[in-house]
Amino acid sequence: MLKAFLWIFLFLGIGELISYVTDVPIPGNILGMILIFSALKLKLIHLKDVKPASDQLLKYMVLFYVPYGVGLMSYFDFISSYWMVLSVIAVVTTLLTLYITALVQQKLEKHD
Amino acid sequence: MIDFYQLPIFGILLTVVVFFAARALRNNIKFVLFNPVLIAITLIILFLVVFDIRFEDYNKGGKYLSFFLGPAIVALGVLFYEKYQLIRHNIYPFLLAVGCGGLISIASVSLISIVMNAPDVIIRSLVSMSVTTPIAIEITKITEGIPSLTAGVVIAVGVFGNAFGSGFLKLVGIQSQTAVGTALGTAAHGIGTARAIEIGPLPGAYSGLAMCVNGILTTLISPYVVLWIVGSI
Repeated sequence: MLKAFLWIFLFLGIGELISYVTDVPIPGNILGMILIFSALKLKLIHLKDVKPASDQLLKYMVLFYVPYGVGLMSYFDFISSYWMVLSVIAVVTTLLTLYITALVQQKLEKHD
Repeated sequence: MIDFYQLPIFGILLTVVVFFAARALRNNIKFVLFNPVLIAITLIILFLVVFDIRFEDYNKGGKYLSFFLGPAIVALGVLFYEKYQLIRHNIYPFLLAVGCGGLISIASVSLISIVMNAPDVIIRSLVSMSVTTPIAIEITKITEGIPSLTAGVVIAVGVFGNAFGSGFLKLVGIQSQTAVGTALGTAAHGIGTARAIEIGPLPGAYSGLAMCVNGILTTLISPYVVLWIVGSI
């Protein structure tokens, strides 16, 4: 378990380092995500080496973003001024995205 | 002597206790707006307001929990590898569908913001609205929006997609369950994926993968869109 966490942190560190020394506009943790996928695909590491840690992290991911949600309390005035435009954007965009994605996938996918 | 609520352990304990209480509540009340994250955030805000505790003091502990969002994003890469085998034969239709959905989302947020004459900070904070919360927060840091506003809207979008997504798609004539999965993951990220997993393991896999792919796509594109529309980041 501890070793699995060390692997995850190693890839996070490499991602952050690349993001820090180069000018790519991609956050280090997202680079880490791409790197760990590539390492698994190239068999540099095995799924069982990292799965114990990744399963735990994904299981509790929602807990980790609660503090950001609580941060909304500092923007109460902003939200009460703009709740209308925020709601229109959220609802229209979500329905449109759902429809277009499902339509393209349904038209093109192969069934077997 | 500093007050107890100024110690990091206060924010950590409050968050963990309320979160698990909200989750226990969810297991007893199967009502879709009883999303544990939504309930936990609401209760914690109420607690802080009632006891007159500043967000900055709460976040002395809260930031230790937020830190784990970094490794959680890396863990998404592992999830992607695990599920990738299941959809390999449909990878191109899948990538095209997520690509179209992701672009539509960015375009829709931008256009509505312009048409409704919204302040720049709204497009900066909402351009990443469809993607999973940790990635959306990272994008907002790049586009210089308000990360907490992003988190709030992203969670609300997820709950909305979870509650109404599959019903809406049925209404507009989508029959393919895997297409519903891909759409839920693209538009409503992890909270939508929770709904897709209820539909079945295969729609669940499509949804989880769609969430990862749209996260990367939106990261690559949205800073340029914001730069183009607002003129600076």
